[in-house]
Formats: sequence, structure tokens, C-alpha cells
Amino acid sequence: MTARLSIRNLSKRFGPVVANDRVSLDVRPGELHCLLGENGAGKSTLSSCLYGLYQPDEGQIIIDGEERRFRSPADAIRAGIGMVHQHFVLVPTFTALENIVVGTGSGWRLDTRAARRQVTELCERHGLRLDLDALIEDLSVGAQQWVEIVKALYLGARVLILDEPTAVLTPQESERLFTLMRRMTDDGLSIILISHKMNEVMQSDRVTVLRRGRVVGTIETRSTTRGQLAQMMIGRQLNPIEVESRGGRWSAVVTISGLSVRDTRGVPVLQDLSLELREGEVLGLAGVAGNGQRELFEAIAGVRRIEAGEIRLDGEAIANLAAAEIARRGVGHIPEDRLRDGLVPDFSIAENMVLGQHWRAPWRRGVLLDGTCVGEHATRSISEFSIVTTGPCEPVRRLSGGNAQKVILARELAKATRCLLCNQPTRGLDIGVIEYVHGQILRKRDEGVAVLLASEELDDLILLSDRIAVIFRGRIMGVLPRCAANIALLGQMMAGTPLEQVA
Amino acid sequence: MTLLANSGWRIERRASRSSLALISALLAAGTGAILCCSLLFVAAGADPIAAFAALAKGSLGSVRAIADTLVRATPLILTGLATALAFRARLWNIGAEGQVFAGAMFAFWCQSAIGAAPAYIQIPVIVLGGLCGGALFGGLAGLLKARFQVDEVIATVMLNYIIAYVLSLLLQQGPWTEPGGFFEQTAIVPDEAKLPILIEKTRLHLGFVLALVLAAILHVVLHRSPLGYEIRAAGSNLRALQFQGVNAGRLVLVVFVLSGAVAGLAGAFELYGVQHRLKSGTLGGLGYTGIIIAILGQLSPRGVVIAALLFGALLNGSTLMQIKTGVPSALIYAIEAIILMFFLIAWAASRFRLRRLRHVD
Repeated sequence: MTARLSIRNLSKRFGPVVANDRVSLDVRPGELHCLLGENGAGKSTLSSCLYGLYQPDEGQIIIDGEERRFRSPADAIRAGIGMVHQHFVLVPTFTALENIVVGTGSGWRLDTRAARRQVTELCERHGLRLDLDALIEDLSVGAQQWVEIVKALYLGARVLILDEPTAVLTPQESERLFTLMRRMTDDGLSIILISHKMNEVMQSDRVTVLRRGRVVGTIETRSTTRGQLAQMMIGRQLNPIEVESRGGRWSAVVTISGLSVRDTRGVPVLQDLSLELREGEVLGLAGVAGNGQRELFEAIAGVRRIEAGEIRLDGEAIANLAAAEIARRGVGHIPEDRLRDGLVPDFSIAENMVLGQHWRAPWRRGVLLDGTCVGEHATRSISEFSIVTTGPCEPVRRLSGGNAQKVILARELAKATRCLLCNQPTRGLDIGVIEYVHGQILRKRDEGVAVLLASEELDDLILLSDRIAVIFRGRIMGVLPRCAANIALLGQMMAGTPLEQVA
Repeated sequence: MTLLANSGWRIERRASRSSLALISALLAAGTGAILCCSLLFVAAGADPIAAFAALAKGSLGSVRAIADTLVRATPLILTGLATALAFRARLWNIGAEGQVFAGAMFAFWCQSAIGAAPAYIQIPVIVLGGLCGGALFGGLAGLLKARFQVDEVIATVMLNYIIAYVLSLLLQQGPWTEPGGFFEQTAIVPDEAKLPILIEKTRLHLGFVLALVLAAILHVVLHRSPLGYEIRAAGSNLRALQFQGVNAGRLVLVVFVLSGAVAGLAGAFELYGVQHRLKSGTLGGLGYTGIIIAILGQLSPRGVVIAALLFGALLNGSTLMQIKTGVPSALIYAIEAIILMFFLIAWAASRFRLRRLRHVD
């Protein structure tokens, strides 16, 4: 069988960094081909080269036996390549149909009637029920993704690249997406799926594993195991962490009752929310992104003003206290967006380690900062958290995501003597670092700290949490003990069904 | 075939800064600026070599010339420092111009209020008056920004106009007008209130040394103190600072007060060190030039001092250049702008490199 798409010895360098090193792979017609690799393994660079966003330095891209060169995405689209980005590129105030056909008209005319016929036909062929006249902003995230897919198909894609498509979906939506992908491949379409979620990878036909810019190998999914793939991906055996179930010391550290928060536009994002974080316990927070998780963390940490309700730490009210004061009372906060909220990119590791404590002893001596003391502290933390760096003076801007997160961990774990807030602490990190971060969170729990943990990886959440709360549109749908939690149940609650109604 | 079609040059961002690239870029910028200025001189009908020679002689040719260069540099050091301080925190204080006026006016008001007094009382009052006047006026813009989220660029530019015309009002048949005078100026200040001259038979005054001391202090504050830490952090990522509980509004206010105070000092020094009377015309432009100085000095106190000395020399040498070669001294502002452009290009260019592309099949 000839390949639909062949990549031959493709290399792409950014200065001294080799993002893709002589990558070769074939995608067959009607194949669901998965690209697996850690961050920085070169998946995104490769897909950007395929979509004409980057021009490869060396190598060939061959489509249906013909070599192609893409100067821009327009060339790639013409050659039959479609791409659905992780973050959708849709116009929110346009209808679905308008978004699908935008940019396809010739000259001044846009034949919407013909376009509608064609798009409807496409949807029917793939069994998609899509309201073409709904505004994008009124559609669910899952439906928006369908619009992106239909758009690519409408533009004549024969190879569809999906970049981490399930990151924003509920488990049920993900399942529907995979059913849809199967129908499309049965129809002859080739799909390149970029993912690092093992259960998704296992549903593909073949997997190509990338490590440090090189292809480790391409294998039939049927003839491999998760363990083998993980080993190919990280180059070593993974030690699964054992989490024993815990009991005992269940006194409340943080009590939240009737919490209401509005965002900057005045829209309520948390409504009458109540939760209890207990000593020596990890409380997992499950929810589709954007359902108020961020606001809940920020409200507890004192970064966001609350409108109504109460937050108590060890019995004392801390709602609307200054963030510095809450931190001083023993609350550490690992924010969702580590580069935007957690670090000063131009500052050195040493300077970032004392962020927020720069007025306090022992960092300040007299009127000046004690550079030696700050530096020594950083050197200690670098070895304790095994941060890979040239030294404490290196700006964090140059660190990889995992090492940058370790800088935040070092700072916040030191502060968290009573409560640790972790919002997506492992998002975008490599498996090895994820393992490490999880270990550190559990270490804190064992010290008796109350941990609130939000993660998009439900498997991780179930593994680490003692109890799991599900949040939907700023309300808690219910709290489950770990033994009662499973993905199907959580998925229904994440879609807005309260626990009582599920059971 | 492929090789032919795809070889070429590409501009790429450097992964790390290279000092070799920076030095060569700066040298190229210097040469470019000189060539460009030469063209201007030729257009003005002068021999470029003679013009540059006159410029050099006028600024560095004698002790007097050097002293005058330092005098011209003094207010520019201060306005440059004021601007650099605010810009470091990503607060676009365009108001050094108005804060210079405010410093001079407040110093004059304080000094006139105490009346006759010996120099050791007058001088500290003048220095404090300049600092406070600038701080108050800078703080006003800071307050608008911190309390009401008024864009600082708009606020400071508007305040620049307001203070300049308020001064005009006070001087034009107002309470400060020189008795019996026609011009928009005050009477000459008493001798005890003039800043001490450092070298005899020159105009080099105490203000120059104080400006250098202030540059050194600000260097330490920026790089070693908790406040400087906050200022630099705010310039890089204010959100991260807020997440740690730093009060952003208070920081904005503090930065504007400090920046204004430094700029205000420039006004007081010009008034009591050079002009010896408050005139409306002579203070204009110092603040705006300070922005160029701050950027040319890469927002570091050390760089600001160097850039201010360079501009002081240009300003001072331009008079002799006009006398000797007939090139209008106003052309010096075009030269300032040319230097700024070339150096900005050099800094940007040194972050990139050209790379030859090869395609191997």
C-alpha cells in the first residue's frame, strides 16, 4: 500500500537546537497514526512543518507520491493537509457555517447556498449533528472542535492533523471524538493524532514515537503495550508510584462556605461554593477547563476578591486578606499558568525563589537584599529539587517547563506549612517530571498539609486524591471518596449532573 | 535541483547574546551615525571633517569646554535616571519634562520663602525643594494611574503642558515676575542660593557631583534593594508579583514619586546652578531628551551617565561648530536622533544572525 503522506529525513533547527533530526515516517490512507513524545520531543515542530508554518531545513514531504514544499499554510491546505489546533481559531461572533466557509470565496462572491449544501453533506457522511446557524460562542467546546474538523474537511483535507484534541473535552466528548475519527478513517481520511494520553494512543492504528527530535520507532499499536510505549518515549523504565489509601487525622484546615466570586466583567464564576480541605489529605478537583477552578484557587490564595462567603484557615477568617498575609500563614499556591502568574521570566532562579518574601529576613539585611544568602538558598534548592540549570543566576526564561515548575515548587512547598494549592501542577510536563511533582505533593500530604489539587488528567487525579470534588460552572456537583470515583461517573458530573441525580 | 531551489540566507534569532556581535554592531552603528551626520553637514554646506573637529574642540578642547560639557550633561543625567527608573518598571513616565518644571518651581518657592539665609541652609532647602516638587508632580500622575487606571502616557504628557503654562502664568505679570522687568522671568537669585562652583572660572557646579552620586545610589537601589527588586520584577512580570501579594498600586505610586523627585532635582539644579533665575524657556526639552538618554543608556544608571555625557558634549560643541562652519547648532537635535536610531538598530540587530541554508536530500 503506498503512503498517503511520507516524510523523508526532515530536519528543523532553531539556532543550535535541533527540533527535528532526520525524521522519516509514512502515513497510510485511512490510518489513524499517533505521534507520541514528551514535550520538546519535536511533535509540534513536525506538525508545523507539515502545515507550512515552518519551513524544514532539510528533507522532503511527499504527498501521494509527489514531493511538496509549503511556504505557508495556504500551500499545505491546497495539498490536502488540514489541521485542528489545540486552541481553536474560530471567530466567536460568526455562525458555524460562516466559520467553515470563511476565506474560501473567490473574488467578492461567497456562494453560501452551495457551501451549505456541501457542508451539510459532509456532516451527514460522518454522522455529525451540527447546528450550522449557531454562533460559535454559543456552541460547546466539543461542538467548536467539530466545526474546526468540518472546516478542514471542507477545505479538502486528505490528511488531518489533530494537536492534543482532547485536552479541553470531557471524557464523554473525547469518546465521541474518537468515534468520529474512526468514521473518518473508514472513509479513507488519514489522521495524525498528537497526544501523550496513553488510553488515546492505544486506540490508534500505528504509533510513531519521537524522542529528542528523532524517531525512536513506528509500531503497530496492536502489537505493543503502554509500558513499552512509555519506555520508548522517555528512554527508561517508569516506576509507577504507589499511593496507599489514608485514614485518620481528618480535621479541617481550610473551610470554604457559601463562596461567590465574579470575574472582571461581573459574571458570577463561583456560586455559593462550599468545600473542606482536611489535614493530611489530597482533595482532587475535577472539572472541564474554565468552570471556575482558577477563580477558586485565586480566591483562597487571596489573589482574587470574593464577593460573598467565608474562607477560614485553622478557624480564622482569611477571605480577602492580602495574598502576602495568607502566604505567611502557611498557604502555598502553584498557579495554573506558571509562566504568567508564578515566575518573573527575566529574573534568575535565585531571585524567583524569594519572590514575595523579598522584604523579609533572612533575605533582607539592613536596607539591601543579601545576595549571598539568596544565592546559597537557591543552590540548596537546585540540588534538593534536582533542577537542571547552569546555576542559580540563570534566568528562568531559559529553563524548560519542568525545571521552571520545580522553581515554583521549591518556593511554594517551603511556604505551604498548612495548605498547598496546586492548580494543574503537571500540565505540559514530561512524564519523568510529572512523577516527581506527584511525589512532592504526596510528601507534603504526609507531613499533614491539606492539599487542593486540580488536574485535567483524571487518571492522575483518581490516583492521588483521597476525595474528589467535581466543579461545574462554579458549583460543586458533589464530592466522592476515591474508592467511589471512576471516569464515567466523574465525566457525567463534569458535564453538569449533580451526584444525587447520577446515583 | 532541490539544493539550488532552497539554498539561501535566513535571519534567525540568536539563542543567547553574543558580546562579539554586540560590539561589532555598536561599532557599525557609530560609523553609520558619523556617515549619516556627515551627509547632513555637507547638505548644510560645510566640510564634515571641519564640523566634527569644531564639535570636538567646542566640547572637549579646554578645561572650560569640558566643564561646560559636564554642566550640559548634569540635567540630562537626572532626567535620564528618572525616566530609566520608571521605564524599568514598565511605567511609561513621559512626564520628566513637567517634573523638571515642578522641581524648579517648588525649589524657588521654598527658597524665596525662607528669605535671606546663609548658603548652608539655602542649598539643602533648594535640593529638598527640587526633590519634593518633582515627587509631588510625579506622584500626581502615579496616583491617577494607581487609583483610577488613567493611562500614564496621556496623564504625564498632559501634565507637562499644564505645569509649563502655569509657570508662564506666574511669570507673566504674575507674583513671580521680576519687578520692573518685561520678560517672562524672575529676578536673579541671591548669591548664597547659587550652587557652589567646583572649578574656578568655569560654570561647573555642585549639581554635577550630586547627579553622579544619585546615579550610584540608584544603581544600588535597583540591583540590591528589595524595592529595586520589585521595580525590576514589575518590569518583567507584574502579575507574578501580584500573585505574591505585592500591592501593585502602591508600587506604581512609589515609582512615580521617586522618578519625579529625580527629575525635579534637574530643574532645581538648572535654576540655581546655571540660569540663576527662573525663566520659562530654558527648562523646556530636558525631560524629553531624558527619554532618549534613558533608552540609549539601556535603562541602566551607568549607561544613562555615559549617554548624558555624550549628549552634553554634542550640545556644548554645537555652538563652536556653528561659529566655525556655519552649520546651525539646531542641527544637533537631528544628530541626537540619528545616534539614537542607529544604536537602537544595533541593539536589535545584535540579537539576530544570518545563517546559510543548505538542503541535503
